[in-house]
Amino acid sequence: MLTFILRRILITIPMLLIISFLVYLGLELTPGDAVSHMISPDLTNTVTEEQMAAMRESLGLDKSFIERYWSWLTHIVQGDFGHSLSGGVAISTIVLDRLPATLELSIFALVFSTIIGCVLGLLSALKRGSATDSALTVVGMLGVSIPEFFFGLVAILIFALNLGWLPVGGRLLPSYDSYWDHFPNIILPGLVLSLMMTAGVMRYARSAMLDSLSREFIRTARAKGLPQWRIILYHAFRVALTPVVVLIGFRLPTLIGGSVIIEAVFQWPGIGLEFIGAVRGSDYPLVMSIALLSVLAVLLASLIVDVLTAMIDPRVRLG
Amino acid sequence: MGKASLNRKFDALRAKEEAGLLKPASGSRALRKMMSNQLAVAGVVIFSIILLASIFAPLLTVHDPLKVDLRSMLQTPSAEHWFGTDRTGRDVFARVLYGGRVSILVGLGSALLAAAVGVGIGAYTGYKGGWVDVVALRASEIFMAFPQIILVLLLVSITGQSLMNLIIIFVLTGWGPMYRMARARVLSLREEEYVQALQSFGVPTLKICYKHILPNALGPIMVNITLTTAMFILAEAGLSFLGLGVPLSIPTWGNILNVAQDLRVLQNNWWLWAPVGAVISLFVLSVNFIGDGLRDSTDPTLQG
Repeated sequence: MLTFILRRILITIPMLLIISFLVYLGLELTPGDAVSHMISPDLTNTVTEEQMAAMRESLGLDKSFIERYWSWLTHIVQGDFGHSLSGGVAISTIVLDRLPATLELSIFALVFSTIIGCVLGLLSALKRGSATDSALTVVGMLGVSIPEFFFGLVAILIFALNLGWLPVGGRLLPSYDSYWDHFPNIILPGLVLSLMMTAGVMRYARSAMLDSLSREFIRTARAKGLPQWRIILYHAFRVALTPVVVLIGFRLPTLIGGSVIIEAVFQWPGIGLEFIGAVRGSDYPLVMSIALLSVLAVLLASLIVDVLTAMIDPRVRLG
Repeated sequence: MGKASLNRKFDALRAKEEAGLLKPASGSRALRKMMSNQLAVAGVVIFSIILLASIFAPLLTVHDPLKVDLRSMLQTPSAEHWFGTDRTGRDVFARVLYGGRVSILVGLGSALLAAAVGVGIGAYTGYKGGWVDVVALRASEIFMAFPQIILVLLLVSITGQSLMNLIIIFVLTGWGPMYRMARARVLSLREEEYVQALQSFGVPTLKICYKHILPNALGPIMVNITLTTAMFILAEAGLSFLGLGVPLSIPTWGNILNVAQDLRVLQNNWWLWAPVGAVISLFVLSVNFIGDGLRDSTDPTLQG
């Protein structure tokens, strides 16, 4: 097992190196360099070329591309992603500041969509071919067809603006005393994100459940005279759960990307909102750093899924 | 369905057949199967209506989607303006029709291009094997390691916003899954006996993989194109809604929805966002129905 994990990590490293190189190349292709961003626009006429060149030399910008990439990479490995162009705040500080909000929203959506998706998938598998099954299939299709931001806007209109039950957006307000005060703020974005993701889980749970219901051990359980609910919950559902758990792992990256637009709609101050702000403001170092971190998260998630599947399913070869 | 009812159905069919009422089925089996799927037929109908309405927009409306008319700002829907007018007096119905042209072009066009690139590369490198295969596989892994929207926004920030850039970016981010699927199909078909026979006749490699292997992978490719189209339409709408997609001067479904970011518009001017939101949802839904129907009718493992 340990050699399998080590081997899996070793495969990931060259990939990360190539991606980091491409991201740095992208950073190079963007207009302007650090010096042109450091000098305020009012001073551009008074600063001479020699002064600019001297500044570039002191920052190491006159070195070759490969040397600069190497120094950038070694800094990143030590957790130093450089500074944001607007405000000059360290990027690692910004990311650490925004990460809890995104994690909170993602975990909420992950848990909620898994529960609803499993229950509905189970229901539709048990009533296969019935009106409930077809209705759930159509609703699932609607779930993947309505743009998530449109769904979010309608939810805001109904529950926040017209009924006034929940806040329009935002997360932690200065007037909140305890951490739990912001719970009403997460309900709308969390539910919208979950419902958009439920359709996938439902489909997967339905086919996994149908598969497990047709197995021999279910017939054995029926022959033993076990009650129906016990067969369904303890025998069939348990077996159907394994592929669903794997699916959850695979959806972690989609979750990272999926929350970007929802965060913008609800002004939820997470990484996604920061990323959109950075793209709008052409804050290239911040854009590249967040993109690189998201790739890291995706690769890490797929590593964990691989290890978990190997642990759950003995048929997976460790070669 | 119980055994007795199936027996009854079968007896009825046989009676009809003996009376000479049933004609032998003709035409493509996949097409017939698709047409018997009600949701897929509904999908084709909705898809065609919206597509044709966009193409023949000038016949359906007399209004210019770009013409600013400050005397008729924010009018509610009426016989003159079916979907009302927006803040600068532009006709929303005309904007939805003309916007459909651009949105469908971006969605369908990028999906077809991504399929051409992905399948073109996948079929060839999968058949050839060796180092070209390894290079293409690694390249696809790099593109697929990014969450899609992050990669799209990253490329938008480097290249800047334009219609052409957006299509290129969608193709760059969408070719990976198409490539994977085409490669997997070709890898399994490569070992078939008919391919070995073609090789022994000395048929050129390119001809074998594009003329003799590729048509056998057409079903899953078409399913993939529909799903990718749905994804790109939603992506364009989302990006334009954020103001990061197609430049705001060009009407697209996402750009029309852009105004709904303003909560006052959301609450007071429903005609600016509700109809176009419904049109996007209906269109994507119809594409998904078609994709599902295609999958059921072309996937041999699901037939029966």
